[in-house]
Amino acid sequence: MQFALILLLLLVLACAGGSFITQGQTYEWYAAQYSERAAGAIIALGLDHVYQCWWFVAITAFLCLNLIACNLVRLPSLLKRYRQAGEAERYVHTAGAVSAEEPLDEEQARKVFSDLGFRQITQGEGFLFAARNRAGFWGAWVCHLGILILIIGFGFGQMAKETYMVYGLPGQSKAIGDTSYILTIDDFSIGLREDDTVEQYTSRLTVHNASDGTSQSAEASVNAPADMYGMRFYQNSTGWAARVNITENGEPLQSEVICVGEYVSVEDKPDLVVYLNAFYPDYYLDPGQGPMSLSSKINNPAYLYSVFYMGQMLGMNALLETEELTIDEYTVTFSEPQNFTIIQIKKDPFTFLALIGGLVTLLGLVLAFYIQYSAVWAVEENGKWTMHGTSPKGGVLFRDRFLRAVTGKEQEN
Amino acid sequence: MGKEQLLSLENNLFTITMLLYFAAMVLYFIFFAMKKENMAKIGNRLLLVGFILHSIALIARGIGAGRLPMTNQYEFATSFAWGLCLVLLVFIHRYHFQALGTFATPVMFLIIGYAAMQNKDVRELMPALRSNWLGFHVSTAIIAYGAFGVSFAVSLMFLIRDKMSDTAFMTRHIPPKENLDMISYRAVSLGLLFLSFTIITGAIWAERAWGSYWSWDPKETWSLVTWLIYALYLHLRIRRDWHGRSAAIFAVIGFIAVIFTYIGVNTFLPGIHSYA
Repeated sequence: MQFALILLLLLVLACAGGSFITQGQTYEWYAAQYSERAAGAIIALGLDHVYQCWWFVAITAFLCLNLIACNLVRLPSLLKRYRQAGEAERYVHTAGAVSAEEPLDEEQARKVFSDLGFRQITQGEGFLFAARNRAGFWGAWVCHLGILILIIGFGFGQMAKETYMVYGLPGQSKAIGDTSYILTIDDFSIGLREDDTVEQYTSRLTVHNASDGTSQSAEASVNAPADMYGMRFYQNSTGWAARVNITENGEPLQSEVICVGEYVSVEDKPDLVVYLNAFYPDYYLDPGQGPMSLSSKINNPAYLYSVFYMGQMLGMNALLETEELTIDEYTVTFSEPQNFTIIQIKKDPFTFLALIGGLVTLLGLVLAFYIQYSAVWAVEENGKWTMHGTSPKGGVLFRDRFLRAVTGKEQEN
Repeated sequence: MGKEQLLSLENNLFTITMLLYFAAMVLYFIFFAMKKENMAKIGNRLLLVGFILHSIALIARGIGAGRLPMTNQYEFATSFAWGLCLVLLVFIHRYHFQALGTFATPVMFLIIGYAAMQNKDVRELMPALRSNWLGFHVSTAIIAYGAFGVSFAVSLMFLIRDKMSDTAFMTRHIPPKENLDMISYRAVSLGLLFLSFTIITGAIWAERAWGSYWSWDPKETWSLVTWLIYALYLHLRIRRDWHGRSAAIFAVIGFIAVIFTYIGVNTFLPGIHSYA
């Protein structure tokens, strides 16, 4: 157990430490935040990805080995203890952890059993015996088993799970990673309340399996993912998209709907690239904070763009829907703002194992803390019964309860 | 009764509750410092009345807001104080010692005071919080934190009793040290069980809302740290026979981790639980 204590302490330190250091950043980022020396140490020790780095995995693996060893070593003695805990002969010839000083008559002794919650009393030659909650012996063992299953489920899940992100507008179809499945976004809606706050995001989705030609459809919203083809589809988030119109000397050249973060480059004319940086549905230019949106309603739409022309960045600016951007013979306008949906797709065949582990852990804790073994027995001598009791986890509180029950009967005398 | 009236009722009851908890704290202090035994009985009654009014306040807010009152800093803080009061009353009743109130009511008053400093506006829930799991997750956290608060108070009593000589008053009103140790252990057991429920129900909810049942978000991580600290406490009790003073110090450290998980993480380590 000493080793387990060290491992638990190391886990506490690692988890706490990892929460104070921003995870997943670069050396440059840490150098800017702290110092170059600290950044070097953070990268070298893996503190930039504490929960995935080798030493954290090693501590967890050792903890698993320790749990296995602990449970295997304890199993025979626990079985023996469990069997013996119900055998009256094991107890009635010994003094209990607590014993009453004054003997009682049989009726009073039976009343003590009843007051302490013991219903089934075994009567032998010259003794009364009752035991309960033998299952409580298994508490720590079951709890350790649950934690082990939980860690294994989590670990295998980390290795086996597949996660994809697909975003798009209603009507668009996109491949799900390198699988044979195609995701079509049939519809996307944002439910707004009267005060303009978002109540729910909902996407209607269809998944087509290109390998066998089958399809399945379902609706995904926040807190209500959709299950199709063994994958789970989550309504992750949303963003803005808009139509970019490019003309050359007044002639339409390109018109395409792009999402924020995407760009348009004109076919055969790669010298012009328009990048959509952000969208403001209710645009307001704050002198202090810069461009912002006063609400999520489309009242005064503006598009923050960057333009690259002839290999150079010409600039970044916000353009209202009524305005045009002219670069030599080209004219750029934005229109048709709309929301796109972001769908997260996950396949983790070990989630159920982690869930089972969690539930087994809870069962173990309930057994350990609230199903506490106790035994009470009374031994007869010359027609008088002396009470004894034991409860390994009840400690002084059991002792006090036992003595109160016995004393109550003594005082009735 | 309309929404505005219910929220106004909640506001008034909250203020009265805070005053009652404060009065109970003062009475418990007089009881302990001046050995006025009647003060503890009155403090106990004020605490019970405060708890009933606090419960009504929470129900009124829940009905007024049209949801469980457990979704922002104010609501969680006031629920935390309610949970601590509930566990405190249960422990006072179960283990027959009112002096526990002397050490637990200051913690309760600090928490409800923290609640009073928060924004009380009722805001509509963001989609991620609109889940039946919210009730299970937060209510188990409230009981867990309340139980850890009581273990902290009992451990403080232990440490103080350890320093003070045995007088008739002490003997009559504070259980022997080995009983205090056991009561603290019982409170930690209750807290750890409910913290486990909190973590597991949170993981199930996160899996449905965010697509990942564990993301090493600071709140998740610190809940795990708290769980590990109390797991260490339990193991040390068995392995090293760490009863008494050492266990009491460990329980105090555990509660510091609870408070950091609740307030410190929200303040210093924002993550996906930033609304909590």
